[in-house]
Amino acid sequence: MSGRGPLVKMVNISKSFGTVQALKDVDFEVGYQEVMGLVGDNGAGKSTLIKILTGVFPPDTGEIYFEGRRVDIRSPKEARDLGIETVYQDLALIPLMSISRNFFLGREPVVRMGPLRFLDKRRMDLTVREVLSEIGIKVRSPDEPVAVLSGGERQSVAIGRAVHFGAKLLILDEPTSALSVRETHKVLDYILEAKERGLSIIFITHNIYHVYSVADRFTILEHGHKVAEFRKDEVSAEEIIEIIRSGYREPEA
Amino acid sequence: MKNPPRFFHLFALWLRQHPEFGAFAGTVIVFIGFSFTATRFLTADSMASILTVAAELGIVSAGITFLMISGEFDLSVGSVLGVAAMIFAMTSKAGWPHLAGWVLALLASAGIGLLNGIIVTRTRIPSFITTLGAMMFWRGILLAVTGGFPISYFPREMPLMFFALNGRFAGQFRTSAIWFLGIMLLLNLVLVRTRYGNAVYATGGNREAARVLGVATDKVKLLNFVISAVLAGLAGCIQFSRFLSVDPMRGLGLELEAIAAAVIGGTLLTGGAGNLIGTLFGVLLVGMVRSGLVQAGAPAYWYQAFVGLIVVVAVIVNTNLRRWALK
Repeated sequence: MSGRGPLVKMVNISKSFGTVQALKDVDFEVGYQEVMGLVGDNGAGKSTLIKILTGVFPPDTGEIYFEGRRVDIRSPKEARDLGIETVYQDLALIPLMSISRNFFLGREPVVRMGPLRFLDKRRMDLTVREVLSEIGIKVRSPDEPVAVLSGGERQSVAIGRAVHFGAKLLILDEPTSALSVRETHKVLDYILEAKERGLSIIFITHNIYHVYSVADRFTILEHGHKVAEFRKDEVSAEEIIEIIRSGYREPEA
Repeated sequence: MKNPPRFFHLFALWLRQHPEFGAFAGTVIVFIGFSFTATRFLTADSMASILTVAAELGIVSAGITFLMISGEFDLSVGSVLGVAAMIFAMTSKAGWPHLAGWVLALLASAGIGLLNGIIVTRTRIPSFITTLGAMMFWRGILLAVTGGFPISYFPREMPLMFFALNGRFAGQFRTSAIWFLGIMLLLNLVLVRTRYGNAVYATGGNREAARVLGVATDKVKLLNFVISAVLAGLAGCIQFSRFLSVDPMRGLGLELEAIAAAVIGGTLLTGGAGNLIGTLFGVLLVGMVRSGLVQAGAPAYWYQAFVGLIVVVAVIVNTNLRRWALK
């Protein structure tokens, strides 16, 4: 991986809201096919950093590089066009809509009939059936509402959607926060599978044990500063928790 | 029951995608009920009169359904209907070509809908409040402009435009029924089979989620406010073509009847679910009750009470069916 540099590189990112400094000179990198755990207490600046990366708002200062090129990401759609997909914990899918309508929302395939364009229902259903069986979710039909899926299944479908649409970077916001133990394992497995398929992943969470089992590296934020960055072999889950709990102290030289 | 019979299971699965079932069943039950209690209910004339009532209400309700699925209300449709009918009447009386007057009436309706939509999407004020204001404002304008007097227009022979909008054919049947069915089918096709329809469901289902997935939710809402107003305006012109007269109170209370029909048909008040087939049955149900009660010999006053009853019962049934189907 080292030969081609990181997939994403954020340099010197600062952002303040009024008098609140949400981020201060943060550098952040994610390599190709790497799972990056982004951790820190509430208010550490995790979601601000991610919202800058996904074009929700611009940074005050700093630069973003994607696949080695300098980019300005001005909207969620631009982020998506670059190949950055985000799965938000509560906003992954719309429960009242069918699985296949959710899966293709905003990117529906159509068939043309003269000047008219209709949803290509057959292709939609076929694709969703395939993806669901890959994930191991059994439903009678892709027309079933998302409401019949469990929380873990919903996260998995949202991840499957990102993979299907060729995402390069997948951002997961607390993907395991509301899940049972068994479901958590399924989703974690599925994250590793997405990595196997070549995706890079940013995993944001409060649950260090969940992220520790799948991440390659960790970035710890605290009060808008990056306080530490570790490879997995440099740190234990308990040490990460200790840093978050008590604040990071520079090793004495 | 450990293993519910397979039939019930399949029915539950089917029901998940068919919120209109409650309204359909209600329509069938009420139809059968009136067939026995109301003499002459099962005649072509009686069906035609049901359709006449249902068509005018249904065109309004179709637009409301679309808007409600995307998560907004429009209480101003009754007033818009009145404004459009008045413009159509005044221009006809002033000797304008009927087509031009009709187009102007629809454009004015579109303008009111656009204004509603802009206010709701820009200020984030609930559409209930915005359109309540619009309802009172445009009703007031109507009263002020006409001084409270009705406007009539009796051409020597039926203009072609009026026939196209609401002329008689095949006995007592009216062309409004064709508009009604055409609009219902067209809008349902858009809702169920196009990308726009998907965006409408998503906008009402979860606006924030739809937005992060790239749906232009404000544009969807804006357009649906316009659709709702234009259809109300069209219904106003259709109604004027039938009565050839319009008073400034025309369409009063219609907004609630239109919402009632949509809700009977399984459209959620909170948005994100429903379809026009349900509204179609909801409207037919309301139309049948109106004609049927009179034919059964009940005083016309009972109509409101009966519709009120149906709304509440329908929502209870729809809600329970939905819960049961999702289990």
